[in-house]
Amino acid sequence: MKRGPAERMGLDRISGLYLLASFVLVFGVWKPHLFLTASTAHVVAEGQAVPAIVAIALLVPLVAGAFDLSVGASANLSAIVATVLQTHAHLSMWPAIAGAVCVSALIGVMNGFFVVRLGVSSFIATLGMATVVGAVQAMVSGDVQPLSPTTGAWTTLAQRQVGGFQVVVIYLLVVAVVAWWMLERTPVGRYLYAAGGNADAARLSGVRVGRWTWLSLIISATLSGVAGILYGSLSGPSLTFGASLLLPAFAAVFLGSTQIHPGRYNVWGTLLAVYALATGVTGLQLVTGVQWLNDLFNGVALLAAVSFAVWRQKRARKLARSHVLASRREAARRWVAGKNAAVESPQKANATAAASVEA
Amino acid sequence: MATTDRPAVAAQPTGVADSGASEREVRSPVLEVVGVSKSFGGSPALVDVGLRLPSGEVHALVGGNGSGKSTLIRVLSGYHVPDSGEVLVAGKPLETGSPASSHALGCRFVHQDLGLVDSLPVLDNLYFGSRFPTRAGTIRTRRAIQHAEANLARVGLDVDPTTAVSSLPPATRTGVAVARSLWDAEDGDVKLLVLDEPTAALSVDDVEQLLAMVAAVASSGVAVLYVTHRIEEIFRIASTAWILRDGQMVSVRKVSGMRRQELIEDIAGRELDETDTAPVEVPRKTARDVVLTVRNLVAGPLDGVSFEVSSGEVVGVAGVTGSGRETLLQAVFGATEFEDGSVTVDGHLLARNDPVSSIRVGMAFLPADRRAAGGILDLSARENLTLADLAPLWQAPTLRLGLERSETDHWFERLGIRPATGQSLPLAVFSGGNQQKVLLAKWLRRRPRVLLLDEPTQGVDVAAKADLHRELLLAAGGGASVIVSSSDTDELVAICHRVLVLRHGCIVACLSGDDISVSRITLQLLGATDGAAA
Repeated sequence: MKRGPAERMGLDRISGLYLLASFVLVFGVWKPHLFLTASTAHVVAEGQAVPAIVAIALLVPLVAGAFDLSVGASANLSAIVATVLQTHAHLSMWPAIAGAVCVSALIGVMNGFFVVRLGVSSFIATLGMATVVGAVQAMVSGDVQPLSPTTGAWTTLAQRQVGGFQVVVIYLLVVAVVAWWMLERTPVGRYLYAAGGNADAARLSGVRVGRWTWLSLIISATLSGVAGILYGSLSGPSLTFGASLLLPAFAAVFLGSTQIHPGRYNVWGTLLAVYALATGVTGLQLVTGVQWLNDLFNGVALLAAVSFAVWRQKRARKLARSHVLASRREAARRWVAGKNAAVESPQKANATAAASVEA
Repeated sequence: MATTDRPAVAAQPTGVADSGASEREVRSPVLEVVGVSKSFGGSPALVDVGLRLPSGEVHALVGGNGSGKSTLIRVLSGYHVPDSGEVLVAGKPLETGSPASSHALGCRFVHQDLGLVDSLPVLDNLYFGSRFPTRAGTIRTRRAIQHAEANLARVGLDVDPTTAVSSLPPATRTGVAVARSLWDAEDGDVKLLVLDEPTAALSVDDVEQLLAMVAAVASSGVAVLYVTHRIEEIFRIASTAWILRDGQMVSVRKVSGMRRQELIEDIAGRELDETDTAPVEVPRKTARDVVLTVRNLVAGPLDGVSFEVSSGEVVGVAGVTGSGRETLLQAVFGATEFEDGSVTVDGHLLARNDPVSSIRVGMAFLPADRRAAGGILDLSARENLTLADLAPLWQAPTLRLGLERSETDHWFERLGIRPATGQSLPLAVFSGGNQQKVLLAKWLRRRPRVLLLDEPTQGVDVAAKADLHRELLLAAGGGASVIVSSSDTDELVAICHRVLVLRHGCIVACLSGDDISVSRITLQLLGATDGAAA
């Protein structure tokens, strides 16, 4: 297959990396003293760790063909539960975290029940669940932002410095590696992709589609619960941060599906998207100093990402198909050549043809 | 070769139609294709193709997958611009590359995908592209219905236009598509009707219906170009067969007096017996160890079906639409719920509606609908091929991707899957025959005890069909029990040791040995020997 210059430079697979580099270049030249600093790198890396974990959480059910619109709500509830268990119930940190993780896992179990057992569309089931979770959160917190636990363990949980970065970045890397391993290197990942690709065909190939979809929803809820706890440790138990995580997570996963392994939701593409977008937003904020840029940028990125993904997929199909056609035609050409050489004797031509078909 | 108009060699530069055809046809042709060539990115898809089609006749256009049939049709419909050559419709040149010109000259097309909206009534489907009669902005329903009925009657259809397309039998749907393509045509408006594999998804009695419709259309003076994979239909409906191979019109034959074998050789371009089982001589087995036992199966149209299949046996299942044939294999595999009965493999009683347990005891099922239920089109061919059994590739903590690749290479080579280096490409880009090979390999890889194949060679070219047949006979030779459910009777005759014929949900005949013939099976299918068989 001939590869154009765009393919050779990886523009079809890693355009996000180029985008990231160009952001660094542009803002680095524009505001070198503000942008090209260690603190900017830290702000971006640490600030995006929690949204990136939520994006990975969202990715897992999307691979299996299910939307989870409750990831933001689970993250938020989990942060509040972890806090309230420590401040009100006076549990120590780890039992409180365990409680919060269990609560979010339970959200996933219920999502799975509606989606898999009752056959409700995942879009609707998780949207409803998100609303219910919001109400539960108001109940638990009494609609008053709880005080942050004052123990050192709670703050160092996400803020401890490791190699100059807050440890939450390391958590993100661990989550990403585990998610990548699960999706790309285990049968479970194959089953999830198969279920998302064609549930009927997967079922007839012996994949327990319902079971894996259910599991994917439990994973997404649990993982977003973990992300929520980390957010609580980083920034305190806000009552509203969850909702603002949802859209950027979708933007990242969709944009990520055009990267690294185009046409497929994948972990590294998602991470690349998160950090490319965040770098752009941070740079623009440094230049202009306005806050609404964040929403604008993420919204535009989501639209652009999905449009690009659709376009990219169409093009990929076409390219791949032309590859297939080319190989078929190559066989035809060899056959024609063989036949021209043997035009005198049709019998011989047939024999050549048969030979070239077999070859 | 006595009936060929010219030798089966078309390498010289003149168009095929120039020489023999003009002497034969006294009427001036409605469609005349002269020296059309088309290549894509340097690879020739059509090489100096000629074709002549007089009014009121049905000509068949045949050829394997990738032979250029679709390219030629797209040239006629104005989708492709040919590199050279010219197309005349009733003497007027077609402005190539212009669908509007093609339509204006009276060319109509019905594709394999009929383009009907299943959930809407026939009426709405017919009125796509033309205006409903209205009064003061409101649709005059009665008048529209009468008008639609008149149009349907012209292709010999008696359908209530208010029924939803989804509730119509497949052949009638095709008929509706034909009626729409001929919509409101005055005499002489429509010159040419091109039917692109209209019967690929139809079973025997549906085909009969459709052929009758085609004949009706042709008798009204329309020239019909009929594209098909099914050899027997050519004999039924066409007066002349044009055979494309590798982009060239390799021969044109008059159908009367033509031998089947000649036609197949022309299509395949090699000495290929359709019933070619040369590499494996499967001995006709007598029942030795029974592997699969089905007892009193009741599911959908099936009303108490019982049979046994032994190791090494290839059993065919025949039946017209609605006979229960489409349901049988699904129910046996557990793809659909069944109401009563039992399925046993090697003494293991299968759980109902649970493909996983069926696969565990060694069953494999290739569904009829490749795109909807067989393959996962967005995943790579490799991932499709290994999906049903990842255990051998799993070595904690990782799937061994290198092993997976080499194993896939092995299957690609063994089944001759093209493109040979395409294992990482999405399944969607493979041709129908190659997709089917990938999906068969998926099951062969598991060395199944029971191999269930539903319409295994539907929409597959002749060469790929022979490959698929060879593989399933090999599997049987290796001790598997193979059941082939097919609406293609020739296929059953070619490969089966035994053929079960279903009618009205019951097995009405079990043919074996010399009793297996197209005529016997057809008689049983249609119930022509009713009473005698019961």
